[in-house]
Amino acid sequence: MDHKKQIKKFVLENYLFTDDESALADSDSLIRNGIVDSTGMLELIGHLEETYSIKVENAEMIPANFDSIDTIGAFVENKLSA
Amino acid sequence: MASLTSRVERIARSEPERRAVACGEQRIDYGTLWAQANAFAAFLRNSGIVDGDRVALILPNGIEAIVACYGSWLAGAVIVPLNAQARARDLEPWLRHCEARCVVHESGHGDAESALAALELPPLRVATGTGEATPGTIAWQTAVETMATPAATTAEPADLAMILYTSGTTGAPKGVMLGHAGLAANVDSIIDYLELDRNDSIVSVLPFYYSYGASVLHTHLAVGGFLVIEPNLVFPHMIVETMARERVSGFSGVPSTFLLLLNRVPLADHDLSSLRYVTQAGGAMAPATTQRLQQALPQVRIFIMYGQTEATARLTWLPPQKLVEKSGAVGIPIPGVELVVRREDGQLAEPFEVGEVHARGPNLMLGYWRNPDATAAVLSEGWLKTGDMGHLDSDGYLFLSGRRSDMIKTGAHRVHPKDVEEVIAELPAIAETAVVGIDDDTLGQVIKAFIVVSTEQSLTVNQVKAHCRDRLAAYKIPKHIEFVDALPKTASGKIRRAELIATTEPREVS
Repeated sequence: MDHKKQIKKFVLENYLFTDDESALADSDSLIRNGIVDSTGMLELIGHLEETYSIKVENAEMIPANFDSIDTIGAFVENKLSA
Repeated sequence: MASLTSRVERIARSEPERRAVACGEQRIDYGTLWAQANAFAAFLRNSGIVDGDRVALILPNGIEAIVACYGSWLAGAVIVPLNAQARARDLEPWLRHCEARCVVHESGHGDAESALAALELPPLRVATGTGEATPGTIAWQTAVETMATPAATTAEPADLAMILYTSGTTGAPKGVMLGHAGLAANVDSIIDYLELDRNDSIVSVLPFYYSYGASVLHTHLAVGGFLVIEPNLVFPHMIVETMARERVSGFSGVPSTFLLLLNRVPLADHDLSSLRYVTQAGGAMAPATTQRLQQALPQVRIFIMYGQTEATARLTWLPPQKLVEKSGAVGIPIPGVELVVRREDGQLAEPFEVGEVHARGPNLMLGYWRNPDATAAVLSEGWLKTGDMGHLDSDGYLFLSGRRSDMIKTGAHRVHPKDVEEVIAELPAIAETAVVGIDDDTLGQVIKAFIVVSTEQSLTVNQVKAHCRDRLAAYKIPKHIEFVDALPKTASGKIRRAELIATTEPREVS
């Protein structure tokens, strides 16, 4: 399973409480749609740091990196290839 | 006493180019804000809205919410700011209960549209944003481009200004009625003790549809201050960057706001030298957190405060110089307010004796909208029974020690257990359920549901949460769910909630 699929599975299970992939489009805004709030974002970032052994810096915690499955997937890919 | 609208008007006329509000890329000065409010007022009057009609606002914090508020008041209407995170099952009964004649909402807000579609008498609809407007809905831009003539009506101080709903669908909704005079009185008191003036500016993260966020908004506009709106706390360091960039003098939050900032942002790395004060209300903050905040921001005056929607917003404040001496206190009454603590029998309690806090002052609500029984239960002979338990010390400082009700405080939100229990009970497998608030290091409390499943039925945690997610605002979804064989009850059959809370180990994960 690629990283984006793994991340989507985590978001579906933990914030939408479902395994139905159609419940969330990869480009949907997690923040604007109220799927992830402030504590949810901390959990999500903690999960990414633990799962992929990466360190998310404060400066990287911006909507451009964390607002959708697409952007989170791209961010993780970049971190892993850096 | 000058109304809130007249204060904004005075600034708009004397200094029209004075900056008023920033929200993302949008900035608006007092002159433009006032012109748009007048245009919206003219639009409402031209559309048949008359004095006392209710205009419901289902809007996130933004310039549109402010214009709609002041414009409605100029038109003589009563605003009903509704929780923009609420789902249709809450919005619909609120809209029915207040008999909204006009509703302003974001285009594409599915729950607002569902709630509106269910109404037999469709109100006037105005939609903000760039989404496609539903047929029969007027675009916000059209509503604020109406040729503005001076407002035809001026609300009297005794008139109703605002209704704030504090509970969901259980029984009769409780809509707190706040008058123009009460709003102005509370604004004056807050300006007085915070020593706010035209040079003050603030980053605002608290929703305007809650009384605390509304008080931040109106106090700053009343003095000609500058308000920088941040939509959420999802990225705490961005809030601090905004505070530094805009050189703001103030910041207001609930305990979880400050915990997020302290735990996630190295505050010393940012230039916050312009910050003069912070305010904290919305539930008890641990004295240890207050100390950490003071250590992180040594030059900042920290105001611990307490209040209720039923008192417009604010009842007490702790002078910053008393923060250490009166650690744990929520302070002394704000100017114009009297506080007493009473025993069960109504007699005044002695200093240090715990009883129920009662308040009196010009900021008290006028009652609950069309709910005389609920009003009579808390308002009597000019006094408000707050439902909060506490004591006064020998110097008259108030210390709180809990609430009479089962209401859960999670982050900036208040949740009535019944609202969540009713939704869970709709699942066919449920025999009974009880919802409580359990301690949480960041949010103060989080929601936990105890569920008894009917014999031979099965149910998973995620089925319950998904069911709640479809029907409740995100902050009302239980964080923890525990399936139990039975709920502890008294001999008369009442659920022992305290016992359920006691069975929960801190930081339990489920």
